[in-house]
Amino acid sequence: MRILNKIYAGVVATGIGLTAAAAFADDIRVGITMRMVSENGQAYGQMMMDEIKGINEAGGIHGKMIKATLMNDECKSDKGVANANKMVFQEKVHLLIGSSCSSVTLPIVDVTAKAGVPQLVPHSTNSKITQKGSEWIFRVPVSGRYYGGVNAKYVGENIGTKIAYICAADAASVGDCANMEKQMKARFGVEPAYRADVQEKEVDFRSHMQKIKSMNVDGILVAALAETMARALVQSYEAGIGEGVRRIGSSSASNAPVPKIAGDAAKGVFFTAAYAAADQRPIAKLFNEMVKSRYGIHAPDHDFSQAYDLVRIMEIALKNTNFTGSLADDRTAIRDAIANVKGYQGLASGPISFCAAATPQCRDGNRTAVLIGYTKGGENFETEVLARVTMEEDFGLE
Amino acid sequence: MSFDYSSLLAFIIFGVTIGVVYGIVALGISLIYSGLDIVHFAHGEMYMFGAFFGLVLAHNVGVPYPIALIGAMVLTALLGMAVERVFYRRLTRAGGGYTVAGMGMIICGFGMSVALVNVAYFIWGAEAEPFRANLDYIPRLSFPGDIEVPESYVLTAIISVALMAALHYFLRHTKTGLAVRAVAHNKDIAYLMGINVPLMISLIFGLACALAAAAGVLIGPMQSVQVEMGYLMLMKAFAAAVVGGFGSLPGAILGGVMVGVFENLGAAYISPSHKDIYAFLLLILVLMFKPSGLLGVEAKVKA
Amino acid sequence: MLQINDVHAGYGNLKILRGVNMQVPTGGIVTLLGGNGTGKSTLLKAVSGLIPLMEGEVLFDGVAISKMKPHERMRLGLVQVTQAKEAYPAMTVEENLVLGAYTRRDRARTLADLERVFEFFPVLRERRKQLSGTLSGGEVQMLVIGRGLMAKPKMLMLDEPSAALAPKVVLEIFANINRIAKTGVTILVVEQNVRMALILAQYGYIIRDGVIMMEGEAKKLISDPAVKESFLGGSVANTAKALRN
Repeated sequence: MRILNKIYAGVVATGIGLTAAAAFADDIRVGITMRMVSENGQAYGQMMMDEIKGINEAGGIHGKMIKATLMNDECKSDKGVANANKMVFQEKVHLLIGSSCSSVTLPIVDVTAKAGVPQLVPHSTNSKITQKGSEWIFRVPVSGRYYGGVNAKYVGENIGTKIAYICAADAASVGDCANMEKQMKARFGVEPAYRADVQEKEVDFRSHMQKIKSMNVDGILVAALAETMARALVQSYEAGIGEGVRRIGSSSASNAPVPKIAGDAAKGVFFTAAYAAADQRPIAKLFNEMVKSRYGIHAPDHDFSQAYDLVRIMEIALKNTNFTGSLADDRTAIRDAIANVKGYQGLASGPISFCAAATPQCRDGNRTAVLIGYTKGGENFETEVLARVTMEEDFGLE
Repeated sequence: MSFDYSSLLAFIIFGVTIGVVYGIVALGISLIYSGLDIVHFAHGEMYMFGAFFGLVLAHNVGVPYPIALIGAMVLTALLGMAVERVFYRRLTRAGGGYTVAGMGMIICGFGMSVALVNVAYFIWGAEAEPFRANLDYIPRLSFPGDIEVPESYVLTAIISVALMAALHYFLRHTKTGLAVRAVAHNKDIAYLMGINVPLMISLIFGLACALAAAAGVLIGPMQSVQVEMGYLMLMKAFAAAVVGGFGSLPGAILGGVMVGVFENLGAAYISPSHKDIYAFLLLILVLMFKPSGLLGVEAKVKA
Repeated sequence: MLQINDVHAGYGNLKILRGVNMQVPTGGIVTLLGGNGTGKSTLLKAVSGLIPLMEGEVLFDGVAISKMKPHERMRLGLVQVTQAKEAYPAMTVEENLVLGAYTRRDRARTLADLERVFEFFPVLRERRKQLSGTLSGGEVQMLVIGRGLMAKPKMLMLDEPSAALAPKVVLEIFANINRIAKTGVTILVVEQNVRMALILAQYGYIIRDGVIMMEGEAKKLISDPAVKESFLGGSVANTAKALRN
């Protein structure tokens, strides 16, 4: 796999060179900056390029070819901004796609807003991205403000309100814990039954589990990065907390190390995501097979589905754009075409719709999260869809 | 809210069960220090290798957990002896076992630590591996106040204490143990007694590494196994060894238990977010009032 | 039994012994006399193998041992009794003695030898379970000699057995050394106590500044005015040097 990545990186670099040299005035230029550090990251980057190639081979957009440039920002803001500037001002792209990490996407929003370039966000969930008032931003994934609500709603209505919180100190988990706590209070008026803030890479949760065990809680929220979460799950069972107490995972629970390391302790853990590999719809099954055969990934997570949906939404919007030949006019036309995408049904768990106003209500197009539960842990883990929840457009806004 | 004595008791019990594990790693560090005058900074990696050896034996070879434990101890002992023989001995006086360059030895220990982590990374990769052990046959212990201690913690504590007892018996009641103590105290006299000092040094190193490996196999099922796991354990065990008195074997155990209890109480009653600093807080407190550690012997005079 | 031929030795670049020649015949008691810093202890270390030779050779029972490790020389029966302060204070008297017999595999004979040591030094039997750190100076001296005997030596080398002991205790210890010699063990005593050593020994060497400056029958040396003078001279010179520093 590593060798494959190297070859692939070479191909991408060559692609960049060719794009700059041989760009026809007639092409539609698209720039992509994403985090491509892991095996998965490489794979979904490659998938986007392959899908765009597919569009070109099928005749392109009304005869125009899409020239895509893919750059790696490694989840670093400075690299992401440098990539965005290069593509917006030197390569003069019509459309920018990026990025994966919220910390990278946030500053790029300012670059595209100033330059007047439409930007499609593939992965970032931070709710502030669409609250900056930019007319040029569109988010394909589910915003973070919805996730907390979905989790809290499901937990309060189906499990109970006496919840113990274990919150690790990494940025994502701190946010997940805070969101959950806020929503549980807003919806059900309850405070955490127990709350432990632990280190990012804590290894010993035993005394917390012992305390939690004596409290007879309805559920335990474990908000931590994958490996830390797995350890906490294992130790919760060791402490003798039975299966009757549900384990709720934070956003990292979708990562493969969780079921792999936690093993049997992963069974019954549920979490919120935008896409479930256990989705029974034909399109999802086809997609899972495609990813597995092309990239060797077992059970693609929502980073894959969102990357795929983004390319499809882009295709729809570009087909509805009247190209005039003026870069500024074409950029505006593409923006308006994206804003006109309504009720797109793809891999996302619900329809995606955008609208013209530069508000989060209009630009957080995907409001449906799916609750996923592990039915089997280990290397060949299995999941099931517990529920789909669509949130109101202005949910979670101050 | 009234003070909850049963959870205080729980924190102390869990502190002790993890503390004895710190203790056996610290025991190894102390043993190497008293035997070789080396502060062995790569000892955390011996713990990590022990955990991986145990994992490979239990999962890939498929032997029962107790056999995996023993196998990991033997393999890690051999690894440790090889490392000592090939690398460290060149820094000590030809076979005599004196450290000639204290700083060189420390740097060498750090270097070995980095090298071993990279070797492990090359073999097993960076991802954490689950270590599944079937421990259903171990009973749960019940304490007053509705505190149940899970089987794996019971096992950890029992095996750690058994290893300490075995080491004590070996050192106090066997001829070879006597020779090890002689080498630890003064190598010149040990030579004059006809003791094969280089062989004893290898033995000391092997024993210390076997203890670290046992800790790795015991902790593995609880915390999963990862190439970077050694660093944190080294820090805790090092703190334990210093708290108890560097070079003192009973001190290493006492220090381990104190570090375990102290950090659990700190996490419970002060703040769990910075649990790892409590060990060092304890270390500083002890050093302020008793610089040689709680059971520390006075600094050895070297020839 | 022991033959030392033109031995040069020292520490690092510092050469202390500059061509020492000595012989210890089988069954005899030979003494090596010298003040502080004359090279006595260095010679012992060179013979027992704790420091390497720079030049020369050492023969034991006709075997060249210069290249052997200390524990290998010890197994040949060449046993050095360390200074009294070098007992293992954290071990019991019995553990110290057992350690002396470390190289031996004949368990029954070892136990018999333990009894023999207790006959030589009855006080050790009384103290056998005590930590050796709690013994008096004379008792520790007995312990280290006893420890040497446990190795079943052909030859014992004693490093200043009279050091820091009361005259009455010294007398007792020297009487015991004599008894040990009578059992057939060859003995080399390194001493500063000239008078006592020359009464005990049959032959004496006097070392100064790393060379043997005089040797002869003990009876003759004891009455030789040059011995007294040179020896005292050495001591005085050293004391004066120490004062200057």
